[in-house]
Amino acid sequence: MVSKKVTLTNKTGLHARPASNLVAFVKKYKSTVFIMNGEKKANAASIINVLTLGAKQGTELEVIADGEDEAVAVEEIVKFISELEE
Amino acid sequence: MKTVSVAKAASKGIVMGKAFIVVPQNLEADKRIIRESEKEVEIKKFEKAIKDAVADLKILAKDSDIFAAHMDVAEDPDLHDSVVQRITDELKNAQLALQEYVDTTVTLFESLDDEYLRERSADIKDVSKRIMCGLKGIKSNPFENIDQEVIVVAEDLAPSDTANMDFKYIRGFITEGGGVTSHVAIMARSMEIPAIVGVAHFREEITNDDYLILDALGAKIIINPDEATKQEYIKKAQEYKEMKEKLESMNDLPATSKDGRTVELFANVGSIADVENAVARGAEGIGLFRSEFLYMENTKFPTEQEQFAAYKTAIETMKKPMIIRTLDIGGDKELSYYKFDQEENPFLGWRAIRISLDLKDVFKTQLRAILRASAFGDIRIMYPMIISVEEFKAANEVLEECKQELKQDSIPFNASIQTGIMIETPAAVLCADDLAKEVDFFSIGTNDLTQYLLAVDRGNQKISKMYNSFHPAVLRAINKVIEAGHKHGKMVGMCGEFASDEKAIPMLLGMGLDEFSMTATEVASARYNIRNLNYKECQKLANEVCIKGTIAEVMELLNSFGK
Repeated sequence: MVSKKVTLTNKTGLHARPASNLVAFVKKYKSTVFIMNGEKKANAASIINVLTLGAKQGTELEVIADGEDEAVAVEEIVKFISELEE
Repeated sequence: MKTVSVAKAASKGIVMGKAFIVVPQNLEADKRIIRESEKEVEIKKFEKAIKDAVADLKILAKDSDIFAAHMDVAEDPDLHDSVVQRITDELKNAQLALQEYVDTTVTLFESLDDEYLRERSADIKDVSKRIMCGLKGIKSNPFENIDQEVIVVAEDLAPSDTANMDFKYIRGFITEGGGVTSHVAIMARSMEIPAIVGVAHFREEITNDDYLILDALGAKIIINPDEATKQEYIKKAQEYKEMKEKLESMNDLPATSKDGRTVELFANVGSIADVENAVARGAEGIGLFRSEFLYMENTKFPTEQEQFAAYKTAIETMKKPMIIRTLDIGGDKELSYYKFDQEENPFLGWRAIRISLDLKDVFKTQLRAILRASAFGDIRIMYPMIISVEEFKAANEVLEECKQELKQDSIPFNASIQTGIMIETPAAVLCADDLAKEVDFFSIGTNDLTQYLLAVDRGNQKISKMYNSFHPAVLRAINKVIEAGHKHGKMVGMCGEFASDEKAIPMLLGMGLDEFSMTATEVASARYNIRNLNYKECQKLANEVCIKGTIAEVMELLNSFGK
């Protein structure tokens, strides 16, 4: 299991299109990916889950991956989140 | 062969086809605690239901973003895992587990007071309906797989039902509930699909194997006709078609009585397709543009841009006057994405202009869109459900605000856009004189006016006989409103079903009604009627009608007119 922290810088946060884009992005990894917002934990492959995180601009998130490609997954997902626009 | 006679057709015509009985869907979960040994079966059932839903959605998603979003929800791992967990750990059956998951998630989303999440919660509800249908073994779209000409027989048909229909094979409608002003009746008329509504217990008389003739001219339904009868009706249907074509050949002539009184013949529309139809049927304008469809066929409040685009398309298609009624929801019309409180008396509750004046942002979005479209043609604004001069002034104040904003941003609009009101409450009738001083025009909405004046719920089958626009109270109200409007030099129109009623037209013409607005398909026959009337005789008729004290006397007079 690998984890890494990242701060949301885009305006919308993990909401609307950025949230759907993230969910679509995560689906390509074999690992199970979770996103933590404080105590709240979401399955990153679930749009319903991700939306309930209520993560807004400026929130610090933790990305956790568990599986054979966990290291690559965490790196790339953190990069994806930090580069979100909108 | 068996014949069922009915009181009145909702949409004229003659059609035939096999009966297609719509089975009502009960989507309430069958709640059950299961045994340890059933767990696997329940999980399998659930996963199969999801798989089927995804397969259906995949096809629909090809040309719809809404269904693409639904597919994401159906494939959501949290939905899957949480339901499976409820089955495994809490021993709930799949239906109950699904219902609980959806209720919790929807409550959570809606509690966050976020428009985007409200939209998504509507998606979750829709998808869960689809999965629940799978679990219960019912088709989520009952109108799928129709591959021959049918007549749809249902208890009632809601907008969501008719939205699901493929009209390639659907020839007619028969419903047990609903009156001539119900959704299905109005939709059937605008699409020119023959319909008979309010046929109590009809589903008990037939099966899906029966062949029906729907005679919405003679107000009859024939079950399993013999060959001779069938041939006779094929001939009748052909004659009707020819007569209609003859009427439509007069489309370009004005609605002028024999002695020279000309009135305007407008159409009521509820979609852009209706506007095209109105043009094709020779309507001289739109007397009632029901803007609700923009709100009801959406998953959120439509944006200014969306509305502007629709109004602009409509006026550019029509190229003639178009009266847009501002949002008229509440009562029996709700929105999937906005939570209305339960009300004891929805028709006397928070609806129409009352909502607009409360939700000022929603109202302003609409008014700005209408104003912007007014740069492209003769658009007029009409406020629904007005009961007082104050309300009209308050609405116009909001309009004025919008005008100022547009002016500041240098966006073009018609600065002297006309504003008028629907007359559909007894209060507006009694204050017609005061209102006439303020407004640019009146439009009498007879459907609601009749219901409010007579205190008769127009959707209630039990008292449908009492719902009668020929009641002296209604006729006198109409007459009073026309007089008040004319006293102050204002145009008075009518946009209820009454304006196309053959028996009512001579009297309304005589009362001085300036504009008759109706379903586009009725325009041709109204024009034919008016062109054959004598205005002076109609005036005399109107005067006599207004002093009759009973419906029977009124009808006697109207029936003998011109004979």
